[in-house]
Amino acid sequence: MNRREFIVLGGAVAALATSRVTLAADWPNKSVVVISAYPPGGTSDIIARLVADLLTAKFGQQFVIENLAGAAGALAGGKLARSAPDGYTILVSGSAPIAANKVVQTNLAYDPEADFTPITIVAESPALLTASAKAPAKTLQELIAYAKANPGKVNIGNPGAGTKGHICAALIGLQTGIELNHIPYKGSPPLLADLLGGHIDFALDAPSNYLPHIKDGKIHGVAVTSAHRIGELPDVQTVAEQGLKDYEQTLWFGAVGPKGMPADIVSAIQKTIKDWIDTPAAKEKLASLGLTAVANTPEEMRSEMAREIESIKPLVTAGLVQPS
Amino acid sequence: MDIFSGLILGFSTATTASNFLYCFLGVLLGTAVGVLPGLGPIATISMLLPFTFGLPVDTALIMLAGIFYGSQYGGSTTAILMNLPGEASSVVTTLDGHEMAKQGKAGRALAAAAIGSFFAGTVGTLFIAISAPLLASFALTFGPAEYFSLIVLGLITSMVLASGSLLTAFGMALLGIILGMIGTDINSGAARYTFGSPNLLDGLDFVVVATGIFGLGDVLANLENERGRVAGVAAVSSLFPTREDWGRMFAPILRGTGLGVLLGVLPGAGVLLASFSAYALEKKVSRRPEEFGKGAIEGVAAPEAANNAAAQTCFIPMLTLGLPGTATMALMIGALVVQGVQPGPEILSQQPALFWGLVVSMWLGNLMLLFLNLPLVGMWAKLISVPYHFLFPVICVFIAIGVYSINNNVFDVYLMALFGVLGYFFKKLGAEPAPLILAMILGPMAEEYLRRTLLISHGDATVFLTSPLSLGTLVVAGLLLLSIVSPRFRRVREEGLQEAD
Repeated sequence: MNRREFIVLGGAVAALATSRVTLAADWPNKSVVVISAYPPGGTSDIIARLVADLLTAKFGQQFVIENLAGAAGALAGGKLARSAPDGYTILVSGSAPIAANKVVQTNLAYDPEADFTPITIVAESPALLTASAKAPAKTLQELIAYAKANPGKVNIGNPGAGTKGHICAALIGLQTGIELNHIPYKGSPPLLADLLGGHIDFALDAPSNYLPHIKDGKIHGVAVTSAHRIGELPDVQTVAEQGLKDYEQTLWFGAVGPKGMPADIVSAIQKTIKDWIDTPAAKEKLASLGLTAVANTPEEMRSEMAREIESIKPLVTAGLVQPS
Repeated sequence: MDIFSGLILGFSTATTASNFLYCFLGVLLGTAVGVLPGLGPIATISMLLPFTFGLPVDTALIMLAGIFYGSQYGGSTTAILMNLPGEASSVVTTLDGHEMAKQGKAGRALAAAAIGSFFAGTVGTLFIAISAPLLASFALTFGPAEYFSLIVLGLITSMVLASGSLLTAFGMALLGIILGMIGTDINSGAARYTFGSPNLLDGLDFVVVATGIFGLGDVLANLENERGRVAGVAAVSSLFPTREDWGRMFAPILRGTGLGVLLGVLPGAGVLLASFSAYALEKKVSRRPEEFGKGAIEGVAAPEAANNAAAQTCFIPMLTLGLPGTATMALMIGALVVQGVQPGPEILSQQPALFWGLVVSMWLGNLMLLFLNLPLVGMWAKLISVPYHFLFPVICVFIAIGVYSINNNVFDVYLMALFGVLGYFFKKLGAEPAPLILAMILGPMAEEYLRRTLLISHGDATVFLTSPLSLGTLVVAGLLLLSIVSPRFRRVREEGLQEAD
C-alpha cells in the first residue's frame, strides 16, 4: 500500500467512523431537550450546560437546556419519565431525581430505577458546609456545641429535600446527636443568596458556587465531606478531621434518558461525554468548579444508583431525611 | 461599574450589527402585534421564544423586550384611528384619541401618543440605568420574609388597581392562586389538584392561560361587534402638533411619565394600570375636565407616556430581584433562564453587557419606534383594515401554534381553548383577568417564600412584622387596601378605571 492509498483508506475509515455516529435512525435530526433539574448557575445546571454544549458541537443539532427546578429535581425527573424514549429528551442532574427521591419522596410519580435509562456519571465532588458571616459558629465543633446549647435553633439550608446536601447534614446530625432544622431551596443560587444576606446561618451543598465568596471572605468554609481536603480550599478541614470518625460523602452528577431509549443513542452520548472527560481541558474545567471528572458505563451508573438508594433507606426509615 | 462606563458598554453591545437588527425586528413585530387585536406580546413572545435559543442571550433579550414595548406604541395607533385598542393598555387612548381623529385631528393625536411615548421611554430607560444598580446593591438584604411581603404587595396592588369591584378582583386573584397551586409540590414532590392526570403534574403554564384569556378571549369578544364595526379608518392629516398642542400636552406627558415610571417598578401594577391611572390623574388636575372624552389631547399624551414608561421600568424588579411584576416579565425570566442567566442581584456584576446592552437598546428601540409609527402610520392602518374574517382565523392559528410549541403538547391547546371561553365570560362579567394571571405567577412564589420564612423562624409568623423592610411593605399594602374603603379614593378609582370600559 503506497502513501496515497493509505490516505484514501484512512479517509474512508474516518468517514465510516463519523457516519456511525449519525446512527441508523439518523438521530439527531432535530433539536434535543436537555432537562436541567436545578436553576441556572448552580453546579448541576453548569454541568448540564457543559454537556449540552458538548453534544451540540458533536452532533450538529441544538441541545436545548430546559430548566425545571423544584421538589429536589422531582419535577424534572417526572418530566423525563413521561417523555418519549426517542433520544430527544435527556436529563443531566445531581443525584436526587436520579436516585434519592425514590425513597425520600413517598409520593414520587416515577421510579428512577425502573423508568430511567442510565447513560453515564459525569462528575463527582464532596459537599461543602458553609457558614454566613454572622453565623454563631465557624467550625464544625463550634456548630455542634452551639446546637447542643440551643436545641432546634440551627437552620441549615440544602438545595432540596433528599439532595446529597440534605443527606450529608442529616448524617452529621445522626453521628453527633444534634438537632438540625433543614431548610430546602430550589437549588444553589437562591440558597447562596440567603447565606450571603445572612438570612440563613449554614448551608450544605456542592462547593462550586461558594468557592469565590469564601475566597472573598463573605462566607466561611466550615468543612468538606470528603476523606481528604480539596485543592480549592486547602484550609478547610474535612468533617472526619473535626471529629466525626469515618465520615465521607460524595455527590455525583449524571445523565439519564427515559426507559427504553435506544442503546445506540445511549452509547453515542456516553462515548461523546467520555471522550471529552478524557481530555485535560475537561478535567481542568471541572476541577475549577471543585469537581472530579468521572466517566463510567451505563451499567456502572445503574449500580451506583442502586447503591445510593440503599444507603439512604435507613436514614428515611429513621425519620432523619424527610421532605418538609 | 458606574453609570457612564455602563452606558458606554451598553452602547457597544446594543449597536453591534446583529443586536441592532434584532432590536429593529423586535420593535417592528411589537408594533404589528400591538396593532392586531387578539395577538398580544405574551402570545408573540412565547411563540418566538424557541427561535431565540440559538441567539446570544443579549440579542434574545433585546429582541423580546422590543416586542413588548413596541406593542405599546402599536396599540395606540389603532386606538386612535379606529377606536379599537390593539392592546388592553390602549383602551383609555380610544376615549380622546379617537374623538380627536373624528374631528380631523388624527395626525396630531398620533403625534401626541408617539412623542409622549418616546419621552417616557427615554426617561424610563434613564431611570433603569440609575435605580437598577441601586436596588441590586441592597437586594441581598431581601430575605424570604421580605420577598413574601413584596409579593403580597404586588397582589394587592393588582387588585386595587383593577377595574370593576374590589371583590371581583379579589375573587380573580384567589382563582389565580388556586390555579397556580396545580402541579407538584415544590418541597415534598407530592401531586396537588392534578386529578390523576400526568398533563397537570407540571402545573398549568401561565402562557397557556394568558394566551387563552387575552388572545382567544379577545377574538371571541371582537366577533360580537364584527357586523356593527365601523370599518372606516380615520384619515391622517398633518402629523405636526400645533403650538397649542405642545402647550397642552407638555405637563401631562411629564406627569404620565412620572406615574408610569413608579407604577412600572411596583410589582403588580404594570402597564395597563399605569395608563388608567394617568388618565384619571389628568382628568382630576385639568382645568377643563369637561373636554375629556371629547378629544382632549391631554387624555392621549398622558396615558401613552405612562404605559410606555411602565413598559420600561417593569424590567427593574424582574432583572434585579428576579420578581416578575407582569406575565410578560415572567416570560422574560423564562427566556433568560433557558440561556443560563438567573435574574437577580448578581445579574449586574455577572452580566454587565447584557444589562447595559438592554438599557441602551431600549432607548434605541424607542427612537426606531418614533420613526416606525409616525411616517409609516398608513401601513399599520392597512394592516388593521384586513377584514376580521381573514384576520381572526390567522390569529387563532398563530396562538394555537404558539401554545403548542411551549411543550409540544396538544393538551395545552385544549386548555387554551377552555381559558379562551372563560376569558370571554370574564369580559362579559366585567371581571378583569390581570389579577388572575399575576396571582397564578406570584402565588407559587408566595407559597415558596412563606414556607421558607416559617421554616427558618420555626413557625413564628411575627418575623413578617419584626423585619422593617417586610413591615414597611405590608403597611403600604394595608394602606392601599384601606384607601379603597375611603369614599373619596373610591370615587377617583371608579371614575378613572371604569369609564374606560
